[in-house]
Amino acid sequence: MMRIIFLECKKVFMSPLFIGLFIVFSMFNMYLIVDNSYFKEELKIANGLAETYGLEITNESLHQLEEDIKLEVGKMTEMTGQEVESVFSFFDQLSMEDYEKYSEEEQSFFHQLQLKEAYLNVAKQIDSDYEGLSMKALAEAEIEKYQLSGNAAEILLTEAEKLSIRFDKLKQTGEHKQWFFLGQPYEMHSFLFRTIVKAVVFEALILIVLATALLTTYEFENRTHLLVYATKRGRIVMKDKLFASLLVTTVIVAMLLGVTLAAYFTVFDYAYLWKSSISSALNWEYNFPYITWWDMPFWKFLSLVIVLLYSCILLFTAITYAIAVAVKNSYFTFFIFAVFFAICFMLPGFMPLSSSLLFITTFNLSVVVMNPHLLFTGNGGLVMFKYHEVLTVTVWTVIALVLYWLVSNHFKKVDIH
Amino acid sequence: MLRVLWNEMKKIWTWKMLGLLFIVNLILFFLVIEFEIEYFPNGRPELDSYRIGMEMIEKYGIEMDEEDIADFKQVYEAQVTEADRYLQARSEFVEVGWDTYEKYRAYDPFEHPEERKEELDFQLMHEEQVDLFWELQERERLIEFHDWKEVGLESIIADSPEPQKTRYVELLENRMFQLYPEVAIRNFDRFIEGVAATILISVLLVVSPIYLQDRNRRLLDLQYTTEKGRALYRTKVLAGTLSSFWVVTGLLAVYFVIYAQNKTSPYFDVPIHMFIGKEYWYDPTFFQYIVLCTIGIYVLSFVFVFLAMGFSTIMPNYVALIGIQIPLVIWMIGDGFNRLLTGMIDLWTAKWMVPTVYIVFVIVSVGVMVYLSKREKKRDISM
Repeated sequence: MMRIIFLECKKVFMSPLFIGLFIVFSMFNMYLIVDNSYFKEELKIANGLAETYGLEITNESLHQLEEDIKLEVGKMTEMTGQEVESVFSFFDQLSMEDYEKYSEEEQSFFHQLQLKEAYLNVAKQIDSDYEGLSMKALAEAEIEKYQLSGNAAEILLTEAEKLSIRFDKLKQTGEHKQWFFLGQPYEMHSFLFRTIVKAVVFEALILIVLATALLTTYEFENRTHLLVYATKRGRIVMKDKLFASLLVTTVIVAMLLGVTLAAYFTVFDYAYLWKSSISSALNWEYNFPYITWWDMPFWKFLSLVIVLLYSCILLFTAITYAIAVAVKNSYFTFFIFAVFFAICFMLPGFMPLSSSLLFITTFNLSVVVMNPHLLFTGNGGLVMFKYHEVLTVTVWTVIALVLYWLVSNHFKKVDIH
Repeated sequence: MLRVLWNEMKKIWTWKMLGLLFIVNLILFFLVIEFEIEYFPNGRPELDSYRIGMEMIEKYGIEMDEEDIADFKQVYEAQVTEADRYLQARSEFVEVGWDTYEKYRAYDPFEHPEERKEELDFQLMHEEQVDLFWELQERERLIEFHDWKEVGLESIIADSPEPQKTRYVELLENRMFQLYPEVAIRNFDRFIEGVAATILISVLLVVSPIYLQDRNRRLLDLQYTTEKGRALYRTKVLAGTLSSFWVVTGLLAVYFVIYAQNKTSPYFDVPIHMFIGKEYWYDPTFFQYIVLCTIGIYVLSFVFVFLAMGFSTIMPNYVALIGIQIPLVIWMIGDGFNRLLTGMIDLWTAKWMVPTVYIVFVIVSVGVMVYLSKREKKRDISM
């Protein structure tokens, strides 16, 4: 039996198509990473701050940083021969030609100092910025934006209240006061989780759907079904095929994620920021900082996202398997799966804006995997529920099991000719 | 002959395939096309842009001479006076010192923010959405564009590399300036890219299995020993081509009928270099540009249909057949259509580039088909 599974897996891994696609996808991901790496030197500042002043932003460490910057600004006064108050004001009155006069070393010194000032300014403003944030106002803005009413609006407001409690606690514990890459210009969180991880999810889905369709329909498409299903093992071989598909999925996702994340962390250095919280105020990209339901350091968020996406993709494998057993044709399997994925993704958009159906329909796997950067957060639009991810995976595990039970019962009795 | 062709067509157009084609189109329509129809013009100031554009065409036709421009400025001045009166009539605006439109415009929320003014501005533009003020903004933008054009073009000419420079000089000498609001043509660009993606996926979906399904069913042994024999391969090429032609034509018809809802037809006679924004190598009218894009969709669709039939001949199974086309399709949707369709005569793509790519595409795809149909005559099919 182990031999059957091994040979099934071999069909995928020895196929030039899968090897080719894997290489194309990996190269594409690396291109994405390198294409966005022009500012990677600047990112070292955040690491340097966390290294020198500790990860937590406290009043003392902030004061220390301010003093150090003042010292360096003093150095700048010496270098430039003019009274410099801050780098920003210095750059304000500096013309391009004057700037060119300084040596490269000096330019880079100015630049570093300017970045430090930028970090300091953001850090100093955290408290006043956070005072202006209200979860209720956020929910009301969402209601206005999507024009929700009735039940839907109420649900959103209740969730906002829960999030408010979490937000107050977050402010007390100081989770938000940790150094991280500045969200405004760099958007590293979105880049990693929305651009890169989402690309990996898409590529992985293409590969695993093709692989599962190949394995499951193999006997019918190669006209070996009369032989294989008449052997002693017979129709139970379908179980081996499912198991092999799950195994292939696991390996493919691991390889794709491995290659991509290895490239990512080689290019971008997170050395001192692995423990920095996702809810950090510095990780503030758009109108709102990310607010996770639980305290989530970067490493934990990353691991949980990987675990969650793994579960989703394995469930997709099971669903593909069910489709493939039912239609017995890999061509239609692929497109039916694509249709299924797209419909799940679009479903909430067609729900009435006043009913709780709007939220119930977001509990599906497509919605979960399409927004990796908003996972586990409380301000991710319509999917802000605390247990959204966990509940979705649980529900769909049950659905997948039922599907499996249905198709295997169906296959036991189906006419094979 | 015709009966065989008819039967081959029937093999392509199964009920299952029709159903799938319908659902796939429905999904892609909502994903990539519907937005450009439902939300056109998309909010403000796009709505005002669209309306002023309509007014310009109605009043001045498709070209504006100096007289027309003077008239346009006059309309603007009249609206400014009207805005002055509007502001003066409302005490809350006069209170903060906004008794003329000029003073209102002079307010800079970034340099000297004032809370009360901010509130009033929000009230005026967003809560009450006074048309007058939105229109004034748009007219200002158009006038600025007009006044800037000669100076602007001259400095662009000074900075441009050679082939583009000649074109810019030509634009300047013939006084072909960008004057009309660009909402309609940019909307069409996004719309047609969505349509192109939908059509590409649709034809590939229909035509890809054409040879593989017979090979899978071991039908070749039977087919190639009939009187018609291996000539059947060519009949299938014809069946696939005809089917694709109907898919492309049918879908184009459907989506263009839907596009008619945008009511952009008054813009059709305007030469595309008159729209603000992109520059082009040639000067077709908007309508000719639409025709050009339509031809582009036909050519590109057939290129990929021929390639798909080629893959269908040589790939060992459906999974490989789909897999090999995925990178191609992703590239076309993500980047290709932008360069080869809406960017066909874009000034910043080399003039020879797009025609060359089309020619290479056509030669390669037709070449593949010719080679494979010749090979089919001698191929050992016992394998």
